[in-house]
Parts: sequence; C-alpha cells; structure tokens
Amino acid sequence: MIPIEYFLALSGILFVIGVIGVLSKRNAIVVLMSIEIMLNAANINFVAFSAYYGNLNGAVFALVSIAIAAAEVAIGLAIIMNLYKTRDTISLDEINLLRW
Amino acid sequence: MFENVPILSLLILFPLVGALVTFMSGKSPKAAKYLALAFAAIPLAISILILTEFSLDGGFQFVEKYQWISFLGISFHLGIDGISITMVFLSTLLVFLAILFSWDVEERVNQYMGLMLVLEVGILGVFTSLDYFVFYIFWEVVLIPMYFLIAIWGGVNRAYASIKFFIYTHVASLAMLLGIFALYFTTAPLLQAENLIPADAIGSFDMLLIASVAPGLGELLQIAIFAALFFGFIVKMPMVPFHTWLPDAHVQAPTAGSVLLAGLLLKMGSYGIIRICLPTLPDAAVDFQIIMAVIGVVSILYGALACLAQTDIKKMVAYSSISHMGLVMLGIATLSQLGIAAAVFQMFAHGLITAVLFMVCGMFQHKAGTREIPLLGGLAPKLPILSTVMMMGFMASLGLPGMVGFLAEFMIFTSTYDVWGVWVLVPIATVALTAAYYLWAMQRTIFGETTTKIDTTHLHDAYWFEIIPLAVLLGLIVLFGVWPAAVVDLITPSVPLVWPLNGVI
Amino acid sequence: MAFAEYAWLIPIFPLIAFVVIGFLGNRLFKKWEGGAPVAIGMTAISLILSLVVAFEALTTGDGTPFVQSIEWLVVQSGDFAFTFNMGIYIDNLTALMLIVVSFVATLVVIYSLGYMHEEGEKKRRYYAIISLFISVMLGLVLASNFLQMFIFWELVGLCSYLLIGFWNTRPSAASAAKKAFLVTRIGDIMFMIGLFVLFVGFQGNLDFEYIFANVDAFIGGNDLLTFGTLMIFGGAVGKSAQFPLHDWLPDAMEGPTTVSALIHAATMVKAGVYLVARSYPVMVDTPTTLLVVACIGGFTALFAATMALNNTNIKRVLAYSTISQLGYMFLALGAGGYIYTQTLEPNVGYTAGMFHLMNHAFFKALLFLSAGAVIHAVHTEDMRLMGGLSKKLKITSLVMLIGCISIAGIPPFSGFWSKDLILEAVFEGISVSPVFAVLYAFGLATAFLTAFYMFRLWFMTFSGEPRDQHTYEHAHESPAVMWVPLALLAALAFGSGFAFLFGFEASIVPHGVFEFDHVASAGDLLVAMFTNVLTYASIIVALAGIGLAYLMYKKKSIDPARFTSGTVGKTISNVLLARYGFTKAYDWIGLKVVYGVAKVADFIDRRIIDGIINAISAGLIRAGGFLRRAQTGLVQAYAVVVVAGGSLIVILLFLVGGI
Repeated sequence: MIPIEYFLALSGILFVIGVIGVLSKRNAIVVLMSIEIMLNAANINFVAFSAYYGNLNGAVFALVSIAIAAAEVAIGLAIIMNLYKTRDTISLDEINLLRW
Repeated sequence: MFENVPILSLLILFPLVGALVTFMSGKSPKAAKYLALAFAAIPLAISILILTEFSLDGGFQFVEKYQWISFLGISFHLGIDGISITMVFLSTLLVFLAILFSWDVEERVNQYMGLMLVLEVGILGVFTSLDYFVFYIFWEVVLIPMYFLIAIWGGVNRAYASIKFFIYTHVASLAMLLGIFALYFTTAPLLQAENLIPADAIGSFDMLLIASVAPGLGELLQIAIFAALFFGFIVKMPMVPFHTWLPDAHVQAPTAGSVLLAGLLLKMGSYGIIRICLPTLPDAAVDFQIIMAVIGVVSILYGALACLAQTDIKKMVAYSSISHMGLVMLGIATLSQLGIAAAVFQMFAHGLITAVLFMVCGMFQHKAGTREIPLLGGLAPKLPILSTVMMMGFMASLGLPGMVGFLAEFMIFTSTYDVWGVWVLVPIATVALTAAYYLWAMQRTIFGETTTKIDTTHLHDAYWFEIIPLAVLLGLIVLFGVWPAAVVDLITPSVPLVWPLNGVI
Repeated sequence: MAFAEYAWLIPIFPLIAFVVIGFLGNRLFKKWEGGAPVAIGMTAISLILSLVVAFEALTTGDGTPFVQSIEWLVVQSGDFAFTFNMGIYIDNLTALMLIVVSFVATLVVIYSLGYMHEEGEKKRRYYAIISLFISVMLGLVLASNFLQMFIFWELVGLCSYLLIGFWNTRPSAASAAKKAFLVTRIGDIMFMIGLFVLFVGFQGNLDFEYIFANVDAFIGGNDLLTFGTLMIFGGAVGKSAQFPLHDWLPDAMEGPTTVSALIHAATMVKAGVYLVARSYPVMVDTPTTLLVVACIGGFTALFAATMALNNTNIKRVLAYSTISQLGYMFLALGAGGYIYTQTLEPNVGYTAGMFHLMNHAFFKALLFLSAGAVIHAVHTEDMRLMGGLSKKLKITSLVMLIGCISIAGIPPFSGFWSKDLILEAVFEGISVSPVFAVLYAFGLATAFLTAFYMFRLWFMTFSGEPRDQHTYEHAHESPAVMWVPLALLAALAFGSGFAFLFGFEASIVPHGVFEFDHVASAGDLLVAMFTNVLTYASIIVALAGIGLAYLMYKKKSIDPARFTSGTVGKTISNVLLARYGFTKAYDWIGLKVVYGVAKVADFIDRRIIDGIINAISAGLIRAGGFLRRAQTGLVQAYAVVVVAGGSLIVILLFLVGGI
C-alpha cells in the first residue's frame, strides 16, 4: 500500500500549482482550470484518507465535490462567455467591476 | 373576560397582519388606506377593551409567557401595568389618527400605510414586553419603518436626516444592548443562587426575574450597567446634548411620521428608564439622580431657548418636544413616587399634545406651502379652523389649566420643589419661555396683517380627514385636563412597584 | 344655606353660553347678533343666582364660610396620598365679589350689543370668549382651594389674551395680547412657587378651609411661609398690574373697550386683590409680606398716576388710573394687615381695600364704558381730536362726570368713602412704622393727581370747542342698549359708597383673623368721619386737583404747554410718555436678552453639537475613503490577500506551536 504521505504530497503540490495559476494567470479560463486543479487536490486528499481509514465517507464527499465542481465550471464558463460578449476580453487585468 | 385569550399577543399580531395585507394590497391607494385604517382600528378597540377590564391594583396584568429559546432563558413574555397601559392606549390611538390624517398621501400608499402598521407593532411590543430580548427586538423593529418613512416620504434633505436618525439611535441601542448583556450575565449567578432558574441555565432575559435580583449587584457594576442603559434611553428621549437628530428628523419627516416620532418614539426612552433602569438598578439610580436632574433641566431650558430662535414652525415644535421630555426626565430624577407618576402623566399628555402640534405644522405645509414663520402672517381670517386648532394646541402645550399638560407639569414641579426646594426656580423659568415662543409664533403666523409673501388667495381650510383626528385629540386633551383622575388613577398604583422608595411628601 | 348649595351653577351658565355660541349654531348666530342673546341670558341667570347666594351669605351666616367640594384628583401611591378638590367656598368676601363680577359682567354684555354691533362675523367669537371669561372669573371667585383658584386664574388670563387680541389682524393688538400673557405669566410662575411652598408645607392640602384653620401646622418655619406668601403676592402683582409688572395693562387697551371695562378694570385685574384678601389668614402670620404688599401698592398708586397726567389716549389714561387704584387697594390690604400684626387691634384696612374694590369696579366700568360710548361716537381714542362733545353726547357726558367725581373722591360719591377709609387706615400705621408716613403721603398725592387727570380727561373730551370738526359732526349719542347700562352704573358709582353706612364694615372683615367688637351705627360713622381732619385733607387735595384741571383745560388760564416747555418739563413729560422706560426695558429683556440667549443656544446647536457630530461622521467617511482604495476590483489581487492571509495563519500556528 502506498503510504499516505505520498498522496498528501501530491495533493499539496497540485494545490500549490493551482494557487499559483490562480494568482498569476491573466486568462480567466486558465484561472478556472487552476481552480479545478485545486479542487482536485482536495479530492485526492478525501479519497486518500477514505482508503486510509477504510471509511467511504471521504470517497462520497469526493464524488459530491466533483459534481459541484462540474456545476461550478458551467457557471464559471457562462460568466466568462458573457464577459467576453460584453467586454470583448477575458483578461482578468481588464476586469475590475468590483472597484470602488 | 380575557382569561384564555392571549390579548396582548393579539394586540401586536393584528397590526402585523395588517401590515402584510396592506403591503400586498397593490397599487390601489384606496384599498390600502381602508385596510390600514381597519387594521389600526382593531388594536385601538382592543386597547379600549383592555382598559375596561383593567384592574387598578398596580401589578402586571394580561400576562402571557411562552418559552421561546429556553436554553438561553428567552421567553416571549408580555404584560402590562398602569404605566404601560397609558402608553399602549396612546400608541393605538395615535397610529389610528395618524393613518387617518395621512389620507391624502398619494405616493406608494400601500407601503406607507404598511410601514405605519409595522411601526405600531414595534411600539406596542416595546410597551408590553417583559423580556429583555423581546424588548430589544421590538425596540429595533421601530427603527426600520421610521427610517423608511423619513427616507422615502420625507422632505428635501431627507437622506441626511434619516441616516442621522438611524445611526444615532442605533448606536444608542447598541449601548443599551451591551447593558442588557451585562445584566444577563451578571445576574445569572444570583438567579441560580435563588433557584429562580435551573442550575445549568446560562441566564435569563426575563425583566421581572432580573429586577428581583439585580439590586443585589455591586454598586460599581450597577452604575456601569445603568450608564449603558441610560445612554441608550436618553438618546431616544432625546436629551441634550444627544438630541440633534430629532429636529432634523422632524423637519424632514412626513406629518404622520412626525406625529408618531414625537408622540410615541420619544416615550420609549423615558419608558425604558422607568420600566428598566429604576426598578432594576435602584442604587445606581440614586447615584445618577443629580446627573438625571441636570440633564433634565438643561434639556428643558435649552430646548425652550432653541425654540425661540427657530424660524421653521415644525423645527420649533420639535425643540419643544425636547423641552417637554426634559420635564419627564426631571420628574423621574426626583426619584419620588409623585414625580415618577407625574412623569408618566406628562408622557401621556405630551403624546396627545404634540400630535396636535405636528398635525398643525403639517397643515401649514400643505395649505400655505411653507412652514417658515417669516413668510407667514395674518392667516387667522383665512384659515379659521387651522388657527383655532393651532391656538388650542399651543395653549395646551404651554400648560394651560383645563388641558392635560397643566397638571402633569404642575405635579412635576411640585415634586421638584419637594426634593430640591427653591432650585425649582431654574426649571420653572420654562413656563415663561414656553409661553413666549408659542405666543410669539402665533403672533407672527396667524395674527397681524395678512402676509403678501405667499399666495393667500387659494388657501383651503382643514379637510374632514384632518378635522376628525384633531377634534378627537383636542377633545381628549380637554377631557383629561378636566378629568385627570382618569389617567392618574391608572398610573399611580403601579408607581410603587417600579420605585418603592419615596420622597419627602 | 339653601341657595349656596347651588352656587356651583353660577359659573356653569356662562359656560353653557360659551359652548353653545362657540361650538354650536354656527349658521344660526350669523344672524342673531353672534349669539349675544344667549350670552346675555346666561349671564343674567348667573347674576340672579349670584345675587341670591350673596344676599344669603351676607344676611344669614355668622361669617363661617359655606364650603362644598368634590374630590377632583386623588393621588395615591404607596405611602403618600393627597387630594385635589374642586369646590365652592362662600363667605362674605366671595359674596361681594360675586355681586361685583356678575353685575358688571351682565351690564357689559348688554352694552356690547350696541358697541360690537358692527363687528360682523367676529361677534360670535367675541360673545363666546366673553362668556367663557365670565364663567371662569366666577369660578375663580368661588374657588375653594389655591390650586383651583390658580386654574381659573390662568384661564381668565387666557380669555384676557384672546380678547386683547380680538382684532387680531392689527399687529399692535397681537403684540399687546402676547405682552399681557407673558408679563402676567411671570407673576403666575411666582404664584406657582407659592403654591408649591404651601402644598409641601401643608402636606398636600391646599383647601382654604384647612389652611386657614391650621396655619400653625405649616412645616418649614416662618421664613419659608413668608417666602411662600410673598410668591403668592407675586402672582397678584402680575395679574393686578402692579409695579414692576404693570406695563402690560396700558397695552391691553388694544382690545375692545367693553373688554377693557370688564376684564381690565372691573374684574380680572381685581383677582390679584382678591387673592391677597383671600390669603389674609395666612398672610397675617407673615408681616413682612404684608408690608411689601403695602409698599408696592402705595408706590404703584402714585407711580401709575403720574403716567396718566399727560397721556392723550382716553383709554390709556383710564388704564393708568386702574393701575393706580389697584395700588390703593393693595396699600389698604397691606397696611391694615401689617398694623394688625403689630398691634393686634382690628382695623379698617381690609374693609377699606375691599370696599374700594367694589366701588372702583362700578365707577371704573362706568368710565370705561362711557369712554367706549365716546369712541363709538367719534371713532378715535385720541383726546386731542375730541372736545365739546357734551353737546352731542349729553347722557354720556353726564354719566362720565359722575364717574369722574366718584373716582376723584368728592363726597358723597362712592369713591370718596373708600378712598378716605384707605387713607385713614394708612395714617393709623404711622404710629407703628414710619414707612406709613411716606405711604400716606403717596396716597394723598395720588388723590390729588387722580382728581386732576380725571377732570383733565373730562374737560378735554366734553368741554370747550370741538377741536376736530369732522369727528364732531359725525358724533352721535349711543343707542339705549348702551346708555341704559351706563345709567345703572352711574347710579351705583354714585350710591355704592353708602353701603359703608349700612353695615359694610361689619360684614366684610377677614373672618377667622379678627372681627370688630361692636358695629358702629351709620350716624356714628358719619360723625367719626366728618370730625376727622384727615377727611378734609383728602377732600381738599381732590378739589385742588379738580381746580387745577379746570384752570388748565376749561378756563385755560394756565397753559398746559407751560409745563412741558422747559428742559426739565420736557424731559419729565417724555419720561412719562415713555412710561419711565418700562416698555423699552421689557422689550430689551425680551428681544435682546432672552432672544439673544436663544440665538446663542441655536448657534450651539447648529455649529457646536451638530458640528461635532458631523465632524465625527465626516471623519469616518474620510477614513473609509482612504481604506476603500484597497479595493482594486482585480480578482487576483484579492486572491493574493486570501492566500497570504491563509499562509500567515498556517505559519503562525507553526510558530506558536499549535501543530
């Protein structure tokens, strides 16, 4: 059996990759993808602990999270589509509607 | 008659239902008006019914108590005594009349009327609740409709006034809330020691329970809690120097809003002091006596002087409210049963009188298009009814015998003399000042040569929906002036229960 | 006391008239002289009832008052309980006041029928308010305790306010009404303080009956009681227009003349005198107060008389005269009481004061109503435009002459008897205190001045040649409704003094304080009076005054201008016309001092208190404006903060050692 630390390391690396992507990328789609990576990093944790404790709760949670992620992506893409339609860009640097 | 009927809950419930129904009545102004009037009439009828069944033994009656959030010690606890019943009657009456008086509102009628009823819910809740938690909720409920009444139907500068009103009184409420929490946590061990609440309970918000043990708190703690609560209440009354929200709010508020603001909302402050501060923290009250007296006297004189300098009638009347609420404060500050009874009577009297005065101001705004005294003048021949009503209202407010304000004022000054001797000379100067600003205002608005600064050719005297409320109010003012026992007999038995100690007489 | 039991009805009838005229029958009374018949009828019923009650009180009882009261308000709370009563208190003093008030009131209302005829729709208001006034005035007279008296006291003040401002479109009338109300309110405040002192001192009981019987039960010592009675007298000073609160009364002449006659001469302004007379049993325990009463009265008598000397407004002259005569009454009451406290011998001061009150009510009402008839005829109040009117207004000039003789104090007219009695009472005091020598001199000087200015008024108005042909030609004699009341009053102004010879002295005494041991017969009184040098002194000064007026204004052998031509004369004349600067002083206090302070309060409110509050809110807004620059709107900037914050927490947890 693969030790739990390996999974944790993998998920940690993935999460950090995701964070860096979210923080540094200008393209909204790439940011969205980075968020997905972060989510999946969390999912890996869930599944890993599920196997580790022999308890299905974690696996179930991962499934729920995947389902929610799908919905979220749909909404996120819809927002990006609309943004593109109205502002002709999906570069996050140029979108500052929340500004004071 | 009401043994098995939760009459006080019904009293509060009907305006709430009425508010919902009126909100939903849609765009027809007529329907909204009639619905609101009907739903305001029901509480009025209930309060009169309660009066007929009211027994003069001074204790709390029609008590209802339902466990609500029991692990926090919160219960829906209602009850009225002689002090609250006068306020409850005043509230239901004034809301009803205010709705009738706003018959000519044209803008968003259903919301306007609905908000008035929500306001009634809050006010009645404050005057009947016997649980701090419930009390606080209702206290805050009052703020919201009044904010919207000013912010939507107000005058030119309404945004400033409504926000000032809201923030000011809300800050005060927070201080009060702190005081309530302090009471809640500090009395819990005492309550447990007396076996009044279970040993594992966090505490109790019940006013009567807390009042039964809170006098046992340490004096410094009492003073701190008193200060917090007191601050919350005097801002609402309002007392100098925390009063400046009031003139602005009044000047901008629609007439009915002003009537309820001055007639009822201000009373919540003084009611709070009498209902909560005095019985719960009597030692601190004694320590605060001089402070209360000074605040009261300053408000009396400062308010009266500020009245003299105003050029807007409504602003003048607003300042006069400060002055008259200062009398209430002075009555409370005597810490004698006579003074406290007189203070409650003055609250009732001021509620009736000030309603008339604000209605008169509103009529000036409507008829003449302005409330600026320098623009008015000589309107008595043109507007005889308005002028007569104005004169009667002013006379009542300056404490003319035969009207309800006189005896209250007289009793307050009597107990002031009783406690402080000839110091009464200081506050009593207001008797002359009050007469001065009212008479001077009359001289410049309705007497003298007819003004040429406004168009006086198309003035229309009072309409029926203005005459009826004014006639009712003036009738009551004279009735209770000639027959004050009707009110005083209700109040006095309850006074020893909030303040068992006594003055000199 | 068969009729006294119904005495509470006396004020009720005029009250009914007030309600009916004021609130009902709006249309009806447009035609019906504005409800005058109702007012007259109800007042007349009151008059009859008053006469019956008064007759009963004066003839039957032994001086013990008839008291009847109901509990008006019981304040009972915990350990204290007290009762405010409403009731009637009838003794000889009440009886006297009842007669005076209801009689003059009835005549004035009848007279109004003619005088107010041309007022149109305003008549209804007039009759309503005057009915209310009559009602509350009678209530004041009948009151059985101090609080009740104060209540009616304020209400008569209200009626006075409303009636002075009757022609409310005249700025001067509105201003005068306000002044009257405010100045008397200063007195009312003092009265209120007096009430507090008595209320607390007598432990919550203000009933005359209780207080008069238990003056010794007062708690707080004699000094406090003195303060209390002084304050009560302060109320009287305001209401009866005594120095220094006198200046409202001349202005009050802005009201209709009927109002001046009824309220500002015959009844309401007497309320102060009545109050002092009523409080006599308390005041005799506080001699200081009585001395103050005497001094203020004596000073005011002379002080007001001087201002009447050169005034040319017919009503104002009468107003000053009223103030002066009221001063006489206070002088008599105060002197009599003070002498009694020092010697414990009964004296006539009290009787003289009340006697003068009655006589004055009749002759001053007569004078005012006659002046009203003159004004009605010539439509001006300025005496310089009158003259020679006796040819046109025969009846009026005759009755007014009777009034003038009466007030001047020529025997056997009524004014003579009471004025002489007052001077006699004051003279008696010289043996007690030298102050009374001064007061006696004041009184005598006032007698001279009174005779002078009253005849000046009469000569200027009625004798000589018309000064203004236009007004003269339009003058006409008044209708019967006006001159019949005048004639009745003239008869009383002539004859009411004879009451003195028929037992007045014995019946109007302060019961419970002292009584006269034996009552002198009419003959003895006459002999006593006319063998006294003082009597001749007062007659001589009165004749001298009349003579001077005759020389100056009838025969014109002394030119009045001679007195005002020199610098000194001019200054004095101007000072008198400026009312010794009191008007200015009142205005100054009102406009400069009080209004100035008010302006300061307003400034504090707007600038300082609101300034602080607005500064706080502005400060918060500025801080917010500074902080909101952190909101760039860029999602990634926020995300950086989130990540940084999260990392910080993790690092901290590591460092602190939680994990």
